[in-house]
Amino acid sequence: MMFSKTVEGDVVRVEIKGQLDSMTAPDLRPSFEALAQERPHKVVLDLSGLRLIDSSGVGAIVSLFKQVRAAGGAFEVVGVQGQPRSIFQVLRLDRVFNIV
Amino acid sequence: MIVLRVPGALEYRELATRVVTTACKLVRVSDGDKQTALEEEFTHEAVSAVGEAFNNVALHGYEDLPMGDIIFEVTTHEDRLVIDVKDFGHSFHPDDAPEPDLGELPESGMGLFIIRAFVDELTYEPGSPNCLRMVKRFEPRGKGATGSE
Repeated sequence: MMFSKTVEGDVVRVEIKGQLDSMTAPDLRPSFEALAQERPHKVVLDLSGLRLIDSSGVGAIVSLFKQVRAAGGAFEVVGVQGQPRSIFQVLRLDRVFNIV
Repeated sequence: MIVLRVPGALEYRELATRVVTTACKLVRVSDGDKQTALEEEFTHEAVSAVGEAFNNVALHGYEDLPMGDIIFEVTTHEDRLVIDVKDFGHSFHPDDAPEPDLGELPESGMGLFIIRAFVDELTYEPGSPNCLRMVKRFEPRGKGATGSE
C-alpha cells in the first residue's frame, strides 16, 4: 500500500495505491488521524490506484470521512474502480461519497 | 479442487485472495454455444468474500489461542464455485453476528455482511475444523444483493 498527500490550496489530495486491508489499514490510520487534525477545508481521496480493499480499509476511510465532515470539511472520493467499487456499492458508500 | 493451507495470520491473506482470483480465471461458463470467462464482477465478489472470511479467522478465530492454520478448498462445478474455509480456532455462528446499520456508517463489523451479500449460499459447521462454506453461482443472481440496479 502506498499513501501520498498533496496540498493544493485549500484542498488536500490523498492518494492510496495497492491494497488497503486488515494488514495495511492499521498503518494508515495514524496518517489519517494527523490529516484530520489539520482540519482541512476539503479532502479529495483518489483511489484510482487502489487494487483491493476490505472492511478494515473501508473502516479507515469512513473514520477519516467522519472526522473531516465533523470539522466542517468537504470530502470527495474519486477514481474508485474494480473490486473496491464492488465493496463501496454493497456497503452503499457510493451514495455517501457520491461516486459516479 | 484447489487446496491452500496457510497459517492463520494476516500476512497470508493476500495469498488466499490470489488463489481465488486465479481459480475464477480458470472457470469457463456456458454462454449459449460458447464458453466465456466469468465476468470481472464475479471475481471481485468472490475475492472480497474470501478476504473477509480470512480476516474473521485470523482476527477472531485464533484470538487467545496458539496460531493455527486456515485451509481453503476451492472447487468449481458446472454452475457454481464452492469455497470451504476451515480453521481450528474458536467457533462462531454467523446468525449471531449483528447486522450492521449501514446508515450509521459503521467502521467495523461489516465482514459477514459483505460475505452474505457476495455469495449465494453460506453455511457454517462448527467443529475441528470449523467449516465455513460459501457457494457462488455463475448465473446472475438477479436479487440485487450487491446493491446494483
